[in-house]
Amino acid sequence: MINKKKKLTFSLAFVLMLSTLLSACGGGNNNANNTAAETNTKTENVAATEVPGAVDTSKEVKLKMLMIGGQPADYDKVFAELNTKLKAKINATVEVEFLDWSDYSQKYPLKFAANEDFDIAYTANWAFYNDQALKGGFMELTDDMLSKYMPLTWEAMPKVSWEQAKVDGKLFMVPNNNVEVTDKVILYREDLRKKYNLPEITNLESYGNYLKTVAKSEKGITAYGAKAADGWKWHELDQATLEQNNNWNLVDANLLPLAYDLDDTTGKIFNIYDTPEFKQLLTYYKDLADNGVWSKNVVSNKNDVWQDIKAGKVSSYAQNLGTVAANLAEMRRDKPEIELAIADITPDKKKIAAISTQNGMAIHATSKNAERSLMLIDLLQNDKEIHDLTMYGISGTNYVPQGDDKYTAGPNAAGYTGFSNWGWNSPLNRQDASYPVEADDMFNSWQSSIYHFPLETFVFNDTNVKNEVANIGNVMLRYAIPLEYGLIPDVDKGQADLIKQLKAAGIEKVQTELQTQVDAFLTTHK
Amino acid sequence: MNRHGFWSDVKKYKTLLLMLTPAVIFFLVFAYLPMAGIILAFKQYSYTGGVFGSPWNGLDNFRFFFNSGDAWRVTRNTALYNIAFIVVNNVLQIFAAILLFEAVGKWFRKLAQTAIFLPYFISWVVVGAIAYNLFNYDVGTLNVLLKGLGMTPIDVYNTPSYWPFILVVVSAWKALGYGSIMYLAAITGIDTEMYEAAEIDGANIFQRIMKITVPNLMPTVIILVLLAIGNIFRGDFGMFYNMVGNNGLLFSSTDVIDTFVFRSLTTSNEIGMSAAAGFYQSLLGFGTIIFANYAVRKYDKDRALF
Repeated sequence: MINKKKKLTFSLAFVLMLSTLLSACGGGNNNANNTAAETNTKTENVAATEVPGAVDTSKEVKLKMLMIGGQPADYDKVFAELNTKLKAKINATVEVEFLDWSDYSQKYPLKFAANEDFDIAYTANWAFYNDQALKGGFMELTDDMLSKYMPLTWEAMPKVSWEQAKVDGKLFMVPNNNVEVTDKVILYREDLRKKYNLPEITNLESYGNYLKTVAKSEKGITAYGAKAADGWKWHELDQATLEQNNNWNLVDANLLPLAYDLDDTTGKIFNIYDTPEFKQLLTYYKDLADNGVWSKNVVSNKNDVWQDIKAGKVSSYAQNLGTVAANLAEMRRDKPEIELAIADITPDKKKIAAISTQNGMAIHATSKNAERSLMLIDLLQNDKEIHDLTMYGISGTNYVPQGDDKYTAGPNAAGYTGFSNWGWNSPLNRQDASYPVEADDMFNSWQSSIYHFPLETFVFNDTNVKNEVANIGNVMLRYAIPLEYGLIPDVDKGQADLIKQLKAAGIEKVQTELQTQVDAFLTTHK
Repeated sequence: MNRHGFWSDVKKYKTLLLMLTPAVIFFLVFAYLPMAGIILAFKQYSYTGGVFGSPWNGLDNFRFFFNSGDAWRVTRNTALYNIAFIVVNNVLQIFAAILLFEAVGKWFRKLAQTAIFLPYFISWVVVGAIAYNLFNYDVGTLNVLLKGLGMTPIDVYNTPSYWPFILVVVSAWKALGYGSIMYLAAITGIDTEMYEAAEIDGANIFQRIMKITVPNLMPTVIILVLLAIGNIFRGDFGMFYNMVGNNGLLFSSTDVIDTFVFRSLTTSNEIGMSAAAGFYQSLLGFGTIIFANYAVRKYDKDRALF
């Protein structure tokens, strides 16, 4: 009896989903000239009228979702409203478990290792996506599932985004739908630059000059701030000065110092520490360090760099454009007397677009409610009403909508922020009306130099060399970080030591393994 | 009743056994049952296979640790730090306990006891932040003081040789209160008649301490030290990680097994490799405690743990 009923429900749901899909496609085709937003409202209406019909006969489910970040103060209010909507649309409610920023990197893998009961998890290329995908923590998503259960997303998402999210040819994530550039830019004190009459910051020399002047003339202000010992194995300027500046890309910056040249179609892998460019950069860093640009104890710094900048104790740092733009807006709001500006120190180099796995949502491998979970992600990403609610909170309280695509902070903006709801970024995102115009300009000027390259979506599988990888990470922390921050008196000897230790840790074996995988990847992706 | 059957023993000691039960359950759940997890050290852990279904991979998981070239260094550091902690902490704790015991004035004694107990409740994270504010080169209290006195500031965070001292001092400071209370309790348990007799015989305070208090404390000292020795190959992660962090310059003198393993494996999340490192520590710890107990037994049978 029960089985039969289940079967019937399922086929009913299936038929209805299919019809939703068809009408969604039809809608899109008929209104090819309409804006994306309109198409979305249309399909949403269709979904709203048809999906509940499908789920009426099915049982109500409670979904559990794992997110990274602290629980927002207004979580209860926002998600209560969300759940009312979800109940009507897909007969489901959702409950979120938050893994705080401070310890998510320890807790997140444990949730999977212990096989806890949850359905959906936020994931990203920087938050365990490849790792968990290879270990079997996520459910594989097939085209059938996607087109059936998430018609809106299936239609809205560029096909290349799905491709980018594949690990070993299999898909485990619903990536976000958003263009982002990962390049690092500089945030600095424009008022100090003007005070000392320094030239515009456009390259490494002018930036170095700015930093040294601030270090020399401004007592009580640290010219450059970094949180060097945060587990990150690079100088915080390296992405700009070493990768962007040379048009190089590290295969996995979290693990290895192995990189390739963006233009090299053969994908030759090299050790980035063993290059003349790195040696030259070390001289640059050493000069900055000797001039007191950063604290001698930068490796033990425990302060939040942005808060230090805001307090006027630090004059500059490097971050990605989105973060820096938000900083700028915040400073203009809270402390207009301090003038900040953004600079790109590698303006004429190739820009790398974030691949789709920069943010995304995945289904837990053992979830019993995969269908409903996918339907939920579909709505989160592409239902205007639900997207607005989950991205910005309650209208009028947490945010004030401005037209269709902008918003301003509401009276209680702080009540709904700070967690990884970027997992469902989409073209429906609104832009903060106070978003600095220069950041927008910079982003637009980059569009033409965004560079796509064959190895963009390559993922290293370190199963065969994980012993070596673990040891290499250790060597980087121990020898590379102090060297790059200019704490080793003899740079040449420091670099030789670093290379020697890496060899002892087995870098050559890893390099060979990586090269084999890269070659295989390039042959199959020709 | 001549026959002492098992059940009659149970019946006879039922109150004592009942009192023992919580401890037995605790160790069963938190120490004995998880021991099965040791097999993970010999397995290639996968989520689908879980603890028991994952494939075996022999000694592969141990390779990372021993191929690193750092195994000896971190093992030595761990043991030496712990020996230093055990010796320094116990000596200071006994000393503090005796002072507290002999201190005149109830009010003063309570105040002193609270004051030295306080650090025990400060988390290592906070201690790490305090240390940073004391020692940092540019604005640290220590260097501001030195500069004020016209001396050259010292660069604590870039000089490995200071750290063994700093760590031993901090550890002693933090553990002093807790340990001294244990010893104080032991001293309070010593028969007061002995002191009275000694006083009548004209023994001064130092003689009383050396001839009565210290010898009577020895059993407690031996038990506590033996228990501590079992953990001699486990670095106090909270302490080392929060005091030193990822400061590579200091690793040569501050790296212990726990921080080394943590650093190597947080990015790769290899459960098998962490289990292997833990197993290695357990084996060494087990060996040491058996040996230490054997040595104590040789010296005085009654004072050994088992």
